[in-house]
Amino acid sequence: MVSGNAALPGFYDYGEVARSVLIAVAASYAALDLTGRVTAASGRTRVAWLSAGATAMGTGIWAMHFKGMLAFHLPVPVEYHWPTVLAALLLAVLASAVALYLASRQKMGPPEALAGSLAMGGGIASLHYLCMAAMRLPAIAEYSSLLVIGSILLAVLFSLIALLMAFGLREETRWTVPRRLGSAAVMGAAVSAMHYTAMAAASFIPAPPPDLSLATSISPLATNGIAIVTLIVIFAAVITSSVDRRASTEVQRRAEEALQEAQDKLARVTRDQAMGELAAAIAHEINQPLTAVVTNGNFCLRQIDGAAPSLRELREAMAEIVNDGTRASEVISRIRALFMKRAADRVELDINEVIQQAATLVRSEADRGRISLLTHLAADQRVLGDRVQLQQVLINLIMNAIEAMRKPTERPRQILIKSTRHSDGVLVQVQDSGPGVDPEQADRIFEPFFTSKPEGVGMGLSISRSIVESHGGRLWVEAVSNGALFEFTLPAQILTNVS
Amino acid sequence: MTEAAPIVFVVDDDPSVRRAIKRLIGSVGLQVETFASALEFLSSKRSEGPSCLVLDIRLPGISGLEFQRKLAEADISLPIIFITAHGDIPMTVRAMKAGAVEFLTKPFRDQDLLDAVHVALERDRARREQEGEIAALRKRLESLTPREREVLPLVVSGLLNKQIAAEIGTSETTVKVHRSQLMRKLGADSLAELVRLAAKIGIPHTES
Repeated sequence: MVSGNAALPGFYDYGEVARSVLIAVAASYAALDLTGRVTAASGRTRVAWLSAGATAMGTGIWAMHFKGMLAFHLPVPVEYHWPTVLAALLLAVLASAVALYLASRQKMGPPEALAGSLAMGGGIASLHYLCMAAMRLPAIAEYSSLLVIGSILLAVLFSLIALLMAFGLREETRWTVPRRLGSAAVMGAAVSAMHYTAMAAASFIPAPPPDLSLATSISPLATNGIAIVTLIVIFAAVITSSVDRRASTEVQRRAEEALQEAQDKLARVTRDQAMGELAAAIAHEINQPLTAVVTNGNFCLRQIDGAAPSLRELREAMAEIVNDGTRASEVISRIRALFMKRAADRVELDINEVIQQAATLVRSEADRGRISLLTHLAADQRVLGDRVQLQQVLINLIMNAIEAMRKPTERPRQILIKSTRHSDGVLVQVQDSGPGVDPEQADRIFEPFFTSKPEGVGMGLSISRSIVESHGGRLWVEAVSNGALFEFTLPAQILTNVS
Repeated sequence: MTEAAPIVFVVDDDPSVRRAIKRLIGSVGLQVETFASALEFLSSKRSEGPSCLVLDIRLPGISGLEFQRKLAEADISLPIIFITAHGDIPMTVRAMKAGAVEFLTKPFRDQDLLDAVHVALERDRARREQEGEIAALRKRLESLTPREREVLPLVVSGLLNKQIAAEIGTSETTVKVHRSQLMRKLGADSLAELVRLAAKIGIPHTES
């Protein structure tokens, strides 16, 4: 392989080798981590992240190479031409910038990936051979062309792998950090493999002492200094990236929360508006017959008070009064029917399932009020009923409980929903830790149009009671020391064999 | 001039309410005609006598306020009494500004409606009277000769016969004849009366 004089015997300081590999892995991790930041940023921030990332990664790659070269000991003094060494550092940073830029773009097709890995691999290979060229020693380096080509190919291949990994790992997921660590290990190993292949390509033949202008020898202290500074740069970059990521996820979380709140508000406004329209419609529907009743009544009074009351006209007007009164009461029945939505659909169901479904539906409302929603359900509580109607009852009771606990108190806010066996069948209890029900109002709360809420309609409990009663059960409020306890029973479904 | 009997038009989509209002207003001896919609009312033949409109503001197809605007656009100046199941303040203000006589919330007091109807009919009667007078005057104005019509504004402006004669280039005697003729034709006994009548039909004073 080598002609002429025998090559100088060289040996590796394996501790240094290990440290160089460590730097390579750390630089790779920083590169992968920063790609995500560069991708997420735009404008000036993006340029800043790109520069910082390229510096950290480039310095890392450069330091790894340099360290790897210093790990190689020759039996002659070796000095380095520092302008060349600096040029190599610059080259490493540039190659890293290209790589980061490519990996952080929206798309990376095969042409971009290939061109990128060629540029980056070429950059790294040049870095390595520049470092070699910076060596000043009483020997000349001879290269095995096969290994040189192999090392360049390795550099390009490593770059391709690095680009693909960085591109694939830039989005933040739960498994990002472990996956990045794994990828960084692979990349670091690849960088090192490239370096040591390239090192193996060279053999040093003794020669006259070289020109030592601008050359400097590197003490062990300096090599460690390089390694430590590099690691600090990488560490700082990764920490900054993590802080920035956290800040941006916090911003995103806040934005999402605000959006959710806006949506809820919209839903509430829509509901309020619907209630307002409904109230207007009800007012109109009831006002019309009432107007006719009052007007006809007044007509009758005028007739009676007049000089010659006409019995026929009086009779007609009174018949209309009766009709319109009946009509008004029909409007009210229709409204009740409307609230009940539809004819009951009786099926055999497990009340626990209904409770759980209702709890799921109101969970977000409870969470917003920082209220814990607990269920304590006895097994297998089968009843015959209308799922939607019973859900309506439960949602109504839970929503009332949530609204009752809107005002701040010292007690923990909690709603407990229990189902138990009862002599009547099944007993369902909804208990909150709010201010409770005023005992004087306890009887009235089930009356239609009675409400204690500023914007309430006063139909909820009245309809809930109608629903429970139509199922053959009872709904009432129980006096308890703290909070309110609403209970209802439903007859148990006795399983009968259908023949 | 004999006056046709006053009539009250009622527009409400609710038949019970229509019948009740008709019965109530009818009990004070007024003639009532009812309509289920604004369109039905518009396509009916309206009477010549004083009339007013009792209008539900929440009509199917067209809102009462919109209807009021349409009537104004069509130059049908009928006093309107609004009745509504739920009137808010801005709605009331808009209706009153557009010339409504009264704005009643259902169910209303019978006397309130009857009072409003009387006010509305009185307003319409006065308006009709004035319109009738103007129409009669215009008719009389048409009977003037072109020369008399030329003299009229000058007389009304307070010019002396001599000045008028100079203005239109004729003798003072001729002006005197024109003057007595037009006063007779327009039914004015004095110059003051003539000035009042001229103002009513909008004869402008001429400055000379």
